[in-house]
Amino acid sequence: MAEMWISMGPQHPMTHGLWTLKVKVDGETIVDADPELGYLHRSVEKMGERRKYFMNTTLTDRLCYASSTTWTHCYVLSVEELMNVEVPERAKYIRTIMLELQRLASHLMWAGAYMPDLGHITGALYFWRDRELFLNLLEVPSGSRLLYNYIRIGGVKRDIPDGFQEKTERVLKLFEQRLEEYADLFENSTIFRMRTEDVGKFTSTQAQNLGITGPNLRGCGTEFDLRKQDSYEIYEELNWNIQTREAGPGYSDCFSRYMVRIDEMHESIRIIRSCFKKMPKGPTLASSIPIRATGEAFRRTEDPRGEALMYVVGDGSDRPYRWKIKSPMFTTISACPHYLKGYKLADIPAIMGSIDICIGETDK
Amino acid sequence: MEIDALVKELKAFKGVSNVSKIRNSVIKITMEKGESKEFFTEVRDNFGFEHCSLISAIDNQPDFELVYHFSTIMGSVTVEGTDMSVMLEVHIFLERDTPTIDSISDLWGGANWHEREAFDLMGIYFIGHPDLRRVLLPEGFAGHPLRKDYVYEIHEEEW
Repeated sequence: MAEMWISMGPQHPMTHGLWTLKVKVDGETIVDADPELGYLHRSVEKMGERRKYFMNTTLTDRLCYASSTTWTHCYVLSVEELMNVEVPERAKYIRTIMLELQRLASHLMWAGAYMPDLGHITGALYFWRDRELFLNLLEVPSGSRLLYNYIRIGGVKRDIPDGFQEKTERVLKLFEQRLEEYADLFENSTIFRMRTEDVGKFTSTQAQNLGITGPNLRGCGTEFDLRKQDSYEIYEELNWNIQTREAGPGYSDCFSRYMVRIDEMHESIRIIRSCFKKMPKGPTLASSIPIRATGEAFRRTEDPRGEALMYVVGDGSDRPYRWKIKSPMFTTISACPHYLKGYKLADIPAIMGSIDICIGETDK
Repeated sequence: MEIDALVKELKAFKGVSNVSKIRNSVIKITMEKGESKEFFTEVRDNFGFEHCSLISAIDNQPDFELVYHFSTIMGSVTVEGTDMSVMLEVHIFLERDTPTIDSISDLWGGANWHEREAFDLMGIYFIGHPDLRRVLLPEGFAGHPLRKDYVYEIHEEEW
């Protein structure tokens, strides 16, 4: 049969955002793929060069609607490195709690979006119902539900209010029960496993070379988590483990990538609990924060989607001279021809859904 | 390999200068453009930098600067005996008239789109790149907007 190109997107249920995936098919089998970006390009880096350092947290919040806190945090961390700002201990704990709550919300967003990809619309409602709980929690200290702007250079906007710990504990307890229910619903479901097992395989060596990080790499059994290996905030002092899964020796499939994220949610709950236990009293914002900076600095963090890195260059003025964002999904999408080849056209939603795409950060 | 031993070995390479260490786990070096390809091949094959994190292009007016970030994943480099993800930051300076450099996307698959982005927004040409097209901006767009001398059609008000 003659080979032909099919264009999926920019308006396609598979895409999760605005992008196009061109696939070359031979009958039903994928021969080649060519992802195309740019539909959502907002030139965030250029806009950042025109705004003052502290103004840019508004832009970073809007990089990814599913995990805005983690992106603001990555930016703030690199600017603090550039300006040599010392963050108070309590602020570090609050940040860690917020990051983990955001990770839970982000993974739930993903899980909810993944289920309709597999034809399981009810799953979306279950997961998004739980995401709502975490959005409510994130709203308590920050005041907003999607774009928080809570993490500031030098600390956090304000201290957490009284009763936040009890409220969080109630939600976590409920959510733990729900996760058990979901294990029966999805992991042990034959239909779910038929759709996801042995689909979209790539090996750990391949993934490292192609720049795939985060849960997608940990799904290959590789213990690589920047919260441990390039530790920031207080992750080093807490007791938690890197979660890995593998479909077979050194490779992942859609199911192992799903399971890694479920395991990570359990681990995030542990981290939040131990944070509350150890949290000291004290100020939540550094007393003096410079507005000008010289030199260059970068920090990387473990975003829910992989390695996020921000590289900031200052020229002595109050605005960044150059600000570069590394988005984990940018490289993961670029590698998609490697893990799509050889599968059927109908597997594309299952494979592309399993890598957790967020186009906001990818297109910058 | 211990990170200090790695620093010593890197110093011996041709074209390497200004070797320094940031935050214990990051090695920062300056590299000459001509020797870069051999150096990068060596870095990937013998020192275990499996992952190309980022390629950033900076317009320093008049020169361009490329900053490469590589990192280890499997713990081939250790810091004081503990397994950490060590990073290598490589600075390469390019002249404004000849913003070209050898592509490394044959060494790291992940570098492919980073190079395309640097080409798209900053106008750096990567020799030997398999598919050097614009990635974020549309085909046929004129100019490279992250260059400092790029002129906007509409003048924005200063914030």
